[in-house]
Amino acid sequence: MASRSKFQDPGLILTVVLVMYSAFVFVWWPTDIYWLGISLVGWFMFIGLFFWFLLAIVYVLWIENIERKNDS
Amino acid sequence: MQVTETIILLIYLVVMTVIGIYFYRRARQSEADYFTAGKSINTFVGAFAIFAAVASSSSLMGAVGSGVALGVPYFFTYAFGVIAILPFSMFLVSGQIRRSGVKTLPEFFKQRFGKSVQIVAAAVVVIGMTFYMVPQLTASGLIGSHVLGIDYVTAVIILGLGFTLYAALGGMWAITYTDLIQGAIMLIGIVILALFILVDHNGVVSLINDAMAVDPAFGDITQPWMSYFGLFIAFLWFGIISPSVVMRNFASRDAKTARRTAMWACLIYLTLFIAGFFVTAAGASMGIIDTLDNTDMIFVSVIEQYLPAILGGIMLAGLMAAIMSSADAMLLAISAGIAHDIYKEHINPKANERFVTGLGLVVMIIASIAGILIAIDPPGLIAIMVGWVGGFLLSAFGFPIVLGIWWKRANTMGALTGMVGGSIVFLVLIIGQWLPTNAEPIIAAPVSLILMIVVSLMTEPPSQEIQARVDHYHTHLE
Repeated sequence: MASRSKFQDPGLILTVVLVMYSAFVFVWWPTDIYWLGISLVGWFMFIGLFFWFLLAIVYVLWIENIERKNDS
Repeated sequence: MQVTETIILLIYLVVMTVIGIYFYRRARQSEADYFTAGKSINTFVGAFAIFAAVASSSSLMGAVGSGVALGVPYFFTYAFGVIAILPFSMFLVSGQIRRSGVKTLPEFFKQRFGKSVQIVAAAVVVIGMTFYMVPQLTASGLIGSHVLGIDYVTAVIILGLGFTLYAALGGMWAITYTDLIQGAIMLIGIVILALFILVDHNGVVSLINDAMAVDPAFGDITQPWMSYFGLFIAFLWFGIISPSVVMRNFASRDAKTARRTAMWACLIYLTLFIAGFFVTAAGASMGIIDTLDNTDMIFVSVIEQYLPAILGGIMLAGLMAAIMSSADAMLLAISAGIAHDIYKEHINPKANERFVTGLGLVVMIIASIAGILIAIDPPGLIAIMVGWVGGFLLSAFGFPIVLGIWWKRANTMGALTGMVGGSIVFLVLIIGQWLPTNAEPIIAAPVSLILMIVVSLMTEPPSQEIQARVDHYHTHLE
């Protein structure tokens, strides 16, 4: 049986982070602020692309770390 | 007819077919091999394979075409959703589904919710994936008619039947190994194209300025908020709800390999979309979008404008590769849906494996003919058609999968109501056309969620055995 709480699952925690960043972009929705002629909305999403990859790395390392601890 | 491009494309298709035939014998050895490549794919091959399966033709042609037509923030929204596909599905479902030991998505539904949900799920997969063939066939028809100098309809028919034959022969083995090549060509091709563009325009800033000079609205939000948000969630969920992507997850050797595979595939995707941004800006700077018969052709125009003929040919082969691998993975999902999940599970459990594999082959051919017939007169832009498929599958499957894994109390009636309710609301909204483009899942997915929770709570909880199984899914970390 699962002795770890589901709420401590790295996947769930990182999902919350992902949802928070998406919410930040879609709630603020700064269409009229521009940088280099492109709406800030576009730039936030562009930054988000790198952030998503970072989250993927964090997840993989985090889980592998848990597995190592479980093994030892 | 573009001679150089044609020759490269033909050589490419021949090589891919030979690989398909080579793996044919291997694939026919067992059903497990045919559908999931015997669960023995390593990280390197797997990363390109999962990337190539997720990167449908629309990732390249559709995203760029929509970005040039509707402004670059639309392209970024596309990327924002697509790059999150793999992390998001990894966070929420991949490890747990792997732990459950099932082979396909409908099989998961059977294990968690029982037969009725499995049959409805298999039907949704078949409908969704068959329609998903349409944007793939549209893209291949556009490229084929341009390169070969034949008319669009003939190109759709010839190319459609061609890669069906190839997919049908080899199952997942052939698809996974050719995906390695396809993924690599696609990635290298677009990076080279981006470099040519950057050199030609003297850097990123002046490239953006050039695009802006031709199209002052290039950087603007041109559509209603709902269109962007709907597109984003439809893609975000794609890894969870798309049977073709889920099946890739099972082809990995072990859980660690599956996670690393998804992580590297995410990086490959990131590279593709950054290069795609430069291609979009170059497309806008050409100022020809209004002169094209089909906006999605802008990508091909950029290739011809910036690359020498030989490189252009390789790049077009890469595009065909993207289409082929996506279409192949879809065909496999359709065929598994009917042959494995409906026929073998419910109609004739004693059927031998050769027969099930053979039935899968017939189903593939029927599905691709249906796709070809719709693609002859495509109902929308590639990006929008892909958005519909994502939105439909999200509205039907999204919450039954996620709640099935995370909420013990979710039961069969709840899942069934959520799945059917979400699908129907989605289809009604599509037919009614009351909402901005691609905004349908903003309404349909929450309807599915609410139905599933309310009906589950109003009916009997699942048996202790099922509840224990849900706990078991989460032991993947122990």
